[in-house]
Amino acid sequence: MADEAVDREATRRRFINWFLGTSAGAFLLSVLYPVGRYLIPPAVGESTAGTVTLAIKPDDVKPNTGQIFKFGSRPGILVRTAQGELKAFSAVCTHLSCTVQYRSDISHIWCACHNGHYDLNGKNIEGPPPRPLDAYVANARGNQIVVSKGA
Amino acid sequence: MRLAGLGYALALLLTLASWPAEGASPPTDRCAACHLETGDERLAGPAREFAGDIHAAKGLGCIACHGGDARESGLEAMDPAKGYIGKPKRQQILQVCGRCHSDAQFMKRYNPSLRVDQVTEYASSVHGRRLKELGDSKVATCASCHPAHSIRPPSDPKSSVHPLRVADTCGRCHADAKYMAGYKIPTDQLQKYKSSVHSQAMTVKGDLSAPTCNDCHGNHGAVPPGISWVGNVCGQCHTVMAELFKKSVHAKVFVEMGNPGCATCHENHAIKPASDEMLGLGDKAVCAACHGADDKGGKAATEMRARIDALRTAHDKAQAILLKAEHSGMEVSQASFDLNAASGALVKARTAVHAFSVDAVAKEAEPGLAVSGKAFARGVRALEELAFRRKGLVVSVVIILALIVGLVLKIRQVDRRQEGRDG
Repeated sequence: MADEAVDREATRRRFINWFLGTSAGAFLLSVLYPVGRYLIPPAVGESTAGTVTLAIKPDDVKPNTGQIFKFGSRPGILVRTAQGELKAFSAVCTHLSCTVQYRSDISHIWCACHNGHYDLNGKNIEGPPPRPLDAYVANARGNQIVVSKGA
Repeated sequence: MRLAGLGYALALLLTLASWPAEGASPPTDRCAACHLETGDERLAGPAREFAGDIHAAKGLGCIACHGGDARESGLEAMDPAKGYIGKPKRQQILQVCGRCHSDAQFMKRYNPSLRVDQVTEYASSVHGRRLKELGDSKVATCASCHPAHSIRPPSDPKSSVHPLRVADTCGRCHADAKYMAGYKIPTDQLQKYKSSVHSQAMTVKGDLSAPTCNDCHGNHGAVPPGISWVGNVCGQCHTVMAELFKKSVHAKVFVEMGNPGCATCHENHAIKPASDEMLGLGDKAVCAACHGADDKGGKAATEMRARIDALRTAHDKAQAILLKAEHSGMEVSQASFDLNAASGALVKARTAVHAFSVDAVAKEAEPGLAVSGKAFARGVRALEELAFRRKGLVVSVVIILALIVGLVLKIRQVDRRQEGRDG
């Protein structure tokens, strides 16, 4: 009987020791893991965020005007057509990556660097740009404009 | 000779008189049926090829060009009295094609947007002039570029005049040194063009709007661009550069010197991608061909190059430090966004070189330098903040670890005291 009591006591102690040991290990891991992650630079530098909410109110974008906005670290262009439709595109010219702008006089998106013209579907229609601007989706949600990369 | 000429004219007249009415069923059946049965490839080949020809698709048959009577079988179909002319002579080809293609009313029924001035244009070309004035039988006519019996529209990738195939079509004669021997013009244009930035844009990047032979020389009216209008040709696409060049001192001087405008610095067929090395007086600088270190132009070229180099260096330096900060997890998207203005300024400064004025280059480069400087400073600040945070983290970790060690020691001490009391 006495041997049985000693054995039970030894098993319980081993269990508690094991329990405390693994707890300490888990605690150390939980401290060191975030430290390690902080010190190792991320593999992807650029944000992959696909949506941006603009600091522009829908009513502030008048028909036949356009303005540049920040989409991550790249420029985008928001255009309200003469018919009132909101459109958004990448503002990076597909020729040599200059920032394009909106020309109200001809209702074109235009690149000043080499006189490249795009229509209001982002299609390259004149000058050296070899392909259309990347199109974004622009939606007015209440008092905000939300631009996203995909539909 | 006169009689032979009269014979040709009569045969052609009869051919044209027997022109099929629009909408008539394709009268190719009997011609093709006999020609395919002959077993003679010289006769069967054209009949077989014609099945894929745009004219066959539009319902036009053999007699549209060759004359004769497709309703007859056997040799009666090829009776000269019925307008049969057989294989049109080189001098006849233009009239045979022009019969329809110069008739605006007729062509509208098939393709309202197709031009009908090809014959007029051809007459203004070197090919057309040599054919008419010198009777040169080697020059290209319609069928040289649009192979008879397998003519396809330019939009068809199989067409000999599809943008991707135009250079090879022209090169069939112009790159053949033996064929071109009597003309005293180079035959390396095709080889040079294929090494050019234009060919690369078209064949590698798939930009079918990039220029090929006919975009600079014309197609039906093909001629070499004259010295004084090379700039106008290049300016069709490179509008900003052409405008700047036109107003520059070089525009007039180049004409006086007999230099071919844009091609003086960029070449004509082997046009390489423009680079900063082309500017200034260095080894690869094109300015050095005329200018020296002591003349005004040489000094301006050196100064323009210095301005552009300074902007490029400042931009690249700012971009590198922002990229480093970004990869280290710092938020520098606003600075990177602002730096786009500097890369735009660099492109504009390079374009402004075509004004050949230091002021024009400086006007574009200076705002870019300012933007690059600010972006670099923000990159430096971001990295400084990163270093500060890392130091702070190390200190925190040391404190946390010391706290843990202290706690462990304290627990042991408490345990030992407890054991001492119990003992």
